[in-house]
Formats: sequence, C-alpha cells, structure tokens
Amino acid sequence: MESMIHDMAERLLRDHVTHRLRAAAASGQRPEALWTRIEEAGLAMALVPEAAGGFGVPPAEALGLVRIAGAHGLPLPLAETLIANAMLARADLPLPGGRLTIAEGEALRLERRGATIHARGHLTLVPFARWADRIVTIAVLGGDDHVLSLPVKELTVDPAQDLAGMPRDDAEVDLALTEADVAPLARPIGGMRGLGALVRSLATAGAMETILEMSVQYANDRVQFGRPIGKFQAIQHNLATMAGETAASRTAAEMAAGSYDTPAFALTVAAAKIRAGEAAEKVGALAHQIHGAIGYTQEHSLHHFTKRIWSWRDEFGTELDWTRKLGRFALSNPHDTFWHFITDSTAQGARA
Amino acid sequence: MTLTAFPPPPPGTDYDDLRQEVRAFLAKELADFPPEKRAESWNGFSRDFSRKLAQRGWVGMTFPKEYGGHARSALERYVVSEELLAAGAPVISHWIADRQSGPLILAKGTDDQKRRIVPRIAAGELCFCIGMSEPDSGSDLAATRTVATEVEGGFRINGTKVWTTYAHVADYMILFCRTGKSDDRHGGMSQFLVDLKATDNIQISPIIDLGGEHHFNQVVFDNTFLPSDALLGEKGEGWSQVMSELAFERSGPERFLSSFALIEELIRLLREDATEAQQAEIGRLSAHLMVLRQMSRSVAGMLNEGKNPSLQAAIVKDLGALFEQDIPRLARSLVTRPAVPGGRDSYAAVLAYTELAVPSFSLRGGTREILRGIIARGLGLR
Repeated sequence: MESMIHDMAERLLRDHVTHRLRAAAASGQRPEALWTRIEEAGLAMALVPEAAGGFGVPPAEALGLVRIAGAHGLPLPLAETLIANAMLARADLPLPGGRLTIAEGEALRLERRGATIHARGHLTLVPFARWADRIVTIAVLGGDDHVLSLPVKELTVDPAQDLAGMPRDDAEVDLALTEADVAPLARPIGGMRGLGALVRSLATAGAMETILEMSVQYANDRVQFGRPIGKFQAIQHNLATMAGETAASRTAAEMAAGSYDTPAFALTVAAAKIRAGEAAEKVGALAHQIHGAIGYTQEHSLHHFTKRIWSWRDEFGTELDWTRKLGRFALSNPHDTFWHFITDSTAQGARA
Repeated sequence: MTLTAFPPPPPGTDYDDLRQEVRAFLAKELADFPPEKRAESWNGFSRDFSRKLAQRGWVGMTFPKEYGGHARSALERYVVSEELLAAGAPVISHWIADRQSGPLILAKGTDDQKRRIVPRIAAGELCFCIGMSEPDSGSDLAATRTVATEVEGGFRINGTKVWTTYAHVADYMILFCRTGKSDDRHGGMSQFLVDLKATDNIQISPIIDLGGEHHFNQVVFDNTFLPSDALLGEKGEGWSQVMSELAFERSGPERFLSSFALIEELIRLLREDATEAQQAEIGRLSAHLMVLRQMSRSVAGMLNEGKNPSLQAAIVKDLGALFEQDIPRLARSLVTRPAVPGGRDSYAAVLAYTELAVPSFSLRGGTREILRGIIARGLGLR
C-alpha cells in the first residue's frame, strides 16, 4: 500500500530510532526530542476522524503506523496515543495533545455523585503511565461505556516494567472527574482490551518483520565451515518458517485493522492476538537460534525486538484469554456449520 | 518486506449471493453424502457431480466466454472453490483441469487446442492428470528423464511417470518431458497434451496408497506417438511453463481445507458441552482458519490482478499443510473416541480416514522442503 503517512513515519523512525536510543530507553531514558518530532508530524492524530480534527486517513492506514513503530522498536507510546486520541474524539471529549496512554478500565468503578462522576479503582500494566500526561480508558457507568481521560498527576503511579524494560505501571485512581474528563460513547467499540490487542498485534507483526530481516542478514554474513550459514538447509528452513509465521501475523493484524469499528472486529482482533502470540514464540526462538550467542547479548539489537514481542503476548489479554473467548464464541455460534462461522467472521460485510 | 505482506482482498469481493447459491446447490446435491465421504475432500471423484456443477457455470469460471468459460474473477472462483472444499464435495474429476490445465492451455495453447479442449473442461466433461513426477524425479523436477524425440508428423515418447493421480480415469495428461539437450539444467524441456483415451502404447497401472485407496498410478510411455499438435506451448520452454502451472496448483484453498470434514465432526461433538481447555483449543483452531483463509483470498486477489503470487502461495501452502496435518492430533487431544476405519460412528470413521490421509498433505504439489527452499530464496538468501 502506497501511503504518504507511512513513508513519512518510516523516514522519521529510520533516522532517529537507533540501537543506542533503544538501549537508553530500556534503561529508563525517554527520547523527548523524538516524541516532539512525532507529535509535530501529526502521527499521533492519524486515527482521529477528519470531523474531529484529524486528516482523514483511512483507519487501516492510520493503524499501519503501529506496525511501522513496531518494526523500529520505537520506545514511545505512539500506538497508545493514537488510540487514546481516537477514543477521546469518539466520545466528543477535548483532545489535549501531549503524551497519552491507554489502560483497560474494567476494574474501575464509576459512581455519580451529584453533578460529578467519581472514578475509583486500580489500573495495572499501564504503558508509559509515569511519563504520560493522561491515561485514557473505557469503563461502564449505568450499563453504558464511558471514555475517561485521567490526569496522571492526580493518580498514584507505581512503576513497573515489561520484559523489554518498557514502563508498565500500576495506577491508583480515586478521583472526581470534570465534564472534560468523562463522556459516554454513543457508539460502543468493545472496551480498551480489544483496541490494545489490535495495536499489540500490529506492532508484533512489524517487529517480527525486522527480526526476520536481521536474521536473513546475519545468515548471509556469518561464515562458518567456510560458507555463510544461510547456505545450510537447516537454517534456510528455519528462516522460511519465520517468514510464514510473520506473514500470517501481519495478515491477521491487518485483517483486524481492516475491520476496526465494524461488528467483525471482536472476532478478527481475537484471531490477530492469538496468531501474533503464537508466532512471537516461534519467531523469537528461531531468530535466537540463528543468531547464536551474539544474539543473546545486549550488544546486539535483536533482544530489543524479541523481548518486546514476548511481552506483548501477555498484554491486553493473554493468549489464553483470547483463545478461550474465540473458542466460546465459535462453539456457541448460531450457524448451521462451523464453516459458516468462519466465513462470516472474516467477511468484509462484517455480519458477525 | 513484501514477502510477508498479503494485501487484503479488494473491497466488495465477498460475493455473498454467489456463496448462498453454491450453498443451496450443495445442500441439495450432497444431502445424503456422508461425513466419511466428505473426508476424502478434493480427492472424491464424480463425473456426474462435476457436470452438474458445470451446468451451473461453476467450472471454468475464469475462462473467457469464447472458450465456454464465464469470464468471472479469480475471487468469484475462490468463493466457489472454498465452498466446495468446506462441504467435502467430490470435485477431483474437474479440479485439476479447472485449476491448472485449463489456465495453462489458455495461456500457452494454440487456438485449435483452446477450441478443442477448453470448452469441454468448462462443461465439466474432461478429467486431467498431471504428468510431472517420475521414479527418479520427484522434488527434483529438472531430473526428468522421459524424452520426446521428434519424428515425422510428431514425437515419440519414452519414459515413466508416477504418482499420477486419477490417470486411470483421466481423459488427458499434461506431460512434462525432455525434448532436447541443454547446458542449462532447466533447458530442453517441453509440455504435451496427451489424449489418454485415443493414444496407443500407454500403460497405466495402479499404485495403492497406504490407506488402501487407488488414486495413484504409474504411467509408462513405450515409443508412444504423439502428433505435432500435441505440443503445448513452445518447444524448450517447458520449465517456465511448468513453474507457472505449479503456481496455480499451489495457490488455492485446497491447501488448508483438506481436513475440514474432521473439524466439522469435532465441533459437532464439542458444541454441547466444552471445557475451558477445549474452548481454548477451538479458539486457536478458529484463529488459524480465519487467517489462512484471509491469506488464501489475498493470493486469489493477486492472481486476479495478473500478478505472480508464487512466493505467497508457497507460504500459504506450507502453513496450510501444517494446519491440516495437525487436526487429527488436535482431535485426539480433545475427544477420547478411538479412530475406526469405516466405523459406524462418523467421527471415528472420519478421524481414521484423515489420520491416514495427512502424511500426503506436505508431499503433494511440492514437498514442505521444496516450498521452504523457494521461500528462503525469496527472502534473499544467497
């Protein structure tokens, strides 16, 4: 797909996301200057509809930015800010700009107290919370999904991190929300878990494309027994397996992105997250096998990518959460045959 | 990296009306077709079924109208193909002709060959078989030894083809053989259209597979005369022709739906009452199917645009065969009923049939090893 915004992101990230930058980020430094460039380029607004101040990029294309960010191992919450802005716009809340992140809000209790709404509860594994200005989440009040925009400075944040050293913080919420901070979703979209799973699936596909590229390069360069190890059939077949897994994950993630905001999304995103998780395991293992000992060090870039894809398996629903969910649906679906379930769940007409 | 990008099928290509028509047709035609027959998947043979399907316009769908086809898109053909496979319809009688022989003749054949043969393929009347493998040339197709020697008025063929599915009933074979010497390993090859019913000195003998079925044959050409007009395409261009034929062979949904009858049986048993662990396994199975289907539709979309998706097709076939072959293991891990060949319990019978069928899935149409070699080269391994 030819895309101006993809080209722009590709150039920006290629120039700035270096091995050094990723390593610095893993030890706790945030690349502030790069974030400013990303914001100035408007990337974080790409999923916001034109009517709400976006620039009319089709959702699947806007979401493609997340795959590109994954391919570069970007240690910043671009995916999170993209989704956060889109949800704020969807609920007609103001778009404050700045650094945003997202969290699953099922554990939050909302309560109406006179004219204000009070939010209380615990958010876990919130990406980059300590660094963000606001956490955007979706929680239920009176049976309806509401979008919440929580100012981080009014929360108690307890820092933690994922396998790749990226911030995944807990946040204690006990807050009276102003009118600018909460609004019902006229058209629900199924909670933050699905949206988070979507961006993690896309990023996993991108990261795996980079892992595959690095592995092919290494196999062509590394000489043992007098020839490049890529000449050995065992290595070739491992690379071919990685290509298959990567292609399947990218197809799955793009299928989910293509059904963003349609009824089919609930099922396609499950397939995407499940497929990404399974592929992450195989691709990570094979990439390390091909790279040998050097790939098992911090000197080499490989670990930044493999640790990310391993972490993402567990975020926004683990693989087991998603396989159970999709399986329950498949077994209880009202179709005559399982085949009809499969065709309907992947139909463009989105009748799921 | 383009190799791992499978563009989504173009918008508006669900063809829901067509799909419902095919489903209604299959519900009627296959009303009494038992699960253990459906388990044969695209190896089931019925000239009668193929003709009826053709009467509906669902054979030779992509062929031009002037040759009896229907000038429909590869994506419409895809809808019909996957519905047939999912239902386990007996399609082999027209399948090979519709999938690869017809398109090859249309691309490379003379006008006379096209007029004589393609309309009869589209009518569901002709069964084709594939003359590629030989006793000493399986994965290594370039080691082909069967030779065509030019004589007055045509060619004399000598050599042996093997693993030739349904040669014993087929009307035509597309024969791949040597027509000249070449320094290039891939040079000096040609393809011929062999009329199996009207050619003398061809001996076809059965090879029974491990499941006890007669699909395979050995086909011996003993000084067999073929007229000049049996040559298909350019003399000496056989290698590139056979490669494009293989791209058609590998590109379809039959590369992930071969075990589908067992999946339907399994789901039927689990529907009533599944544990969380069983639900999770069915969830994973569903995810794989949804994604393989999307990849396969993407390949159909690329074919439709006239692109050559042979690398993507190799990826789908490799992943698809792994999936199809894993279904008996999955079934056995979820249900305690033993496999019984020909058993009265349809689950037991379908499991038994599928267990014996799956080893062939990563052999036919290019072994797993060959496909992975193709993918590795596509990745840029030097």
